[in-house]
Amino acid sequence: MDNLLQLREDFSRRGILISFNGSLSNSIIEEIGNAIKRYLEDEQREKGIITDVFAVYVEQTQNMRNYVRKNEIDEEHRSSILVISTAEGHYKISSGNCIKKTNVPSLTSHLEQINSLDKDGLKQMYKEQRRKVRTPDMTSAGLGLIDIARRASSKISYQFDRLDDEYDFFSLTITIQGA
Amino acid sequence: MNMIDIPATKSTPEIVFSEKDKRLSITGESYPENTFEFFKPVFEWLQETLPSIDKLTLAVNISYMNSSSTKCMLDILDILGECAQQGCDVSVVWYYEADNGRALGIAEEFEEDVEIPFEIVSIAP
Repeated sequence: MDNLLQLREDFSRRGILISFNGSLSNSIIEEIGNAIKRYLEDEQREKGIITDVFAVYVEQTQNMRNYVRKNEIDEEHRSSILVISTAEGHYKISSGNCIKKTNVPSLTSHLEQINSLDKDGLKQMYKEQRRKVRTPDMTSAGLGLIDIARRASSKISYQFDRLDDEYDFFSLTITIQGA
Repeated sequence: MNMIDIPATKSTPEIVFSEKDKRLSITGESYPENTFEFFKPVFEWLQETLPSIDKLTLAVNISYMNSSSTKCMLDILDILGECAQQGCDVSVVWYYEADNGRALGIAEEFEEDVEIPFEIVSIAP
């Protein structure tokens, strides 16, 4: 384990508070979420900031978990990564997971639409989406990324990197002011 | 009358009906793994129970809810709204912690979207 010191230095340099790399379960989402909340409470951050960081974390991790469950993702592509870091007065919540190439265009256009809107536009989009009638087979309200954008201090940052012929790797980073 | 009494977990709120006060209380945090499954018994309970009672207060005290829980909450408020149109005396009391401006904003957005009496009450943190 002679690289552990290097890993520690890398974590410190990047201001990483918490990270997880593996297969997300519901109880892992709860446990890490509670740890983040307690940490921010101990640091005496404003309640609104704590809620925003926690909320963005929950939406990102539940999105990744639901994606794996709904889309029959094979074993090799199920692992997700989550990193929460802090630097220069802000928190960053980053997540990454494998995504089927066939899902990339619709996700890109959804993200582009969200990033084109200001706060009022996002509020309207959120309310319209929330008003849509729920069908019995729906497992998500389609609100997660809009909610994330409404809490973010700047535009959603994302990218897709090629993994293999079937999958890309989707990275998503949200910044929240107030560290 | 059918009762509803769902205990809280780490990621789900307590949901309980007091027949004496005609008060349905939802208390805690709400980010269930499968939100629609979690709230299904509440929808069913409301559909079964509302026609037989003339008064209901919904008391919401949720410190955090994920986005799909806000969808379920709006659906619950819509069911109450339909009941109000048929003459039922329904109202909402929504609690938020006084030092959490975000929580107040969420309450106000629900108030904007419903047409039943809606009281927002700040509580000491």
